[in-house]
Amino acid sequence: MTLFGRRLPIIAAVLLAVGLVAGLVAPPDRIQGNLQRLMYVHVPAAWLAFLGFAITFGASLAWLWRRKPRYDRLAASAAEVGVFFTGLAIVLGSVWGKPVWGVWWTWDPRLVTTALMFFVYLGYLALRRATLDPLVRARRAAVFGVLAFVQVPIVHMSVLWWRSLHQPPTVLKPGDPTIDHSMLAALLVNVLAFTAVFALFVRARVRLAVAQDEEDTLPGPLAGDVVTAPRLEGVSRDE
Amino acid sequence: MTAWRQLVEIARKDLRLEARSGEALLVTTPFGAVALLFVPLAVGTDTPLLRGIGPGLYWVVVLLFGLLVTLRTSAVDTPPQIALLRLCGVHSVVRLAGRAAASALLLLAFELLLVPVAVALYDPAPHGWPWLLVVLPLVAAGLGLLGTLAGALAQGLDGRTTLGPVLVLPLAVPLLLGATQAPAAAALGHAPWPWLLLMLTVDLIAALALLLGAPHLEEVA
Repeated sequence: MTLFGRRLPIIAAVLLAVGLVAGLVAPPDRIQGNLQRLMYVHVPAAWLAFLGFAITFGASLAWLWRRKPRYDRLAASAAEVGVFFTGLAIVLGSVWGKPVWGVWWTWDPRLVTTALMFFVYLGYLALRRATLDPLVRARRAAVFGVLAFVQVPIVHMSVLWWRSLHQPPTVLKPGDPTIDHSMLAALLVNVLAFTAVFALFVRARVRLAVAQDEEDTLPGPLAGDVVTAPRLEGVSRDE
Repeated sequence: MTAWRQLVEIARKDLRLEARSGEALLVTTPFGAVALLFVPLAVGTDTPLLRGIGPGLYWVVVLLFGLLVTLRTSAVDTPPQIALLRLCGVHSVVRLAGRAAASALLLLAFELLLVPVAVALYDPAPHGWPWLLVVLPLVAAGLGLLGTLAGALAQGLDGRTTLGPVLVLPLAVPLLLGATQAPAAAALGHAPWPWLLLMLTVDLIAALALLLGAPHLEEVA
């Protein structure tokens, strides 16, 4: 079994290529022009961050219920990948914001709550890293993984609850999406492609965690093993 | 002994330890006052500017340094002590609720001690100040609960005092918003109830998290 597998990387690469083409052939925005094409990477990154943290939440609950190590590994892996996609969404949003809003960062509710979510899950990863005992680590991380998820609906609803510069939801909302349908198709293709990449990362991280756990349970070499005992046969004590 | 009585005794124990050591009120409070003193040296000693930013800075200092107060109290919990409490029949929820109650009282004292310092240094406008009588206890309760959760999560870790704030400070942002906006809204003649409700909601969520998470965190200890 390889870390990334054989079929999923190919599927992800093909989907990414299709997504790239779809993003390029989709019509440009009437006001923002080609800048709007950043949406095809920014929005999937943000959605997959939500997905990652939702998996962490579900796996944390499952661990507290069943106490199976696989749930802890899944929660940790999804959180790591979720933090990566959150960071990516923030950076891409910043790159998009500079020419459109005129600033790299603004004190917008969506931006601030996303940054807070990023730090909450960095804390989750820091908590895991600081705890050495696997059982204690799993238990603490599960409790915090459930508590931390409160940030996710706040981030999603922030553009509705407060006056925001960031645009409100156009797809994840009740009713018909308020977006041109060819743009929506390109967006959905990219979401699919990014989801394949997400699955690839999470699966690889889970496999790494399994290998790490197996190595931890094996009796490892002792520091003294590298030192060979001196041969005393045929050697006089007086020499 | 009833659960309520146990809770009160645990809170009293924490407060008695603080009375003997004075670490929270005699060390952390002056540290917070020094932070309030330093900010004008960094941003400029312009009185109208300081009058505007003073209340916000006060609450930032309360949040940052207040978490240190709550995490300090969890430092006295050693595994044998927790095991003894468990043998005595003290439920994990009661133990952490007692800790949160003591932390909230200490935080309230911490806030009250810093108020005259902030008033003297920043001379903020007095409008909306009566609402502080509600805001101060709400922030103290929320921060006490969140700090207790952080202390329990980071129990026994080397980086406990740095990891704890990282875990819960982002969750305490609604307290900061509510604390700064409620008096400001009142000063402008608006009803501050939405902000008070926001803080109360955070307090209730933190209490619920403590109630549901304590049995799992007890196993950690």
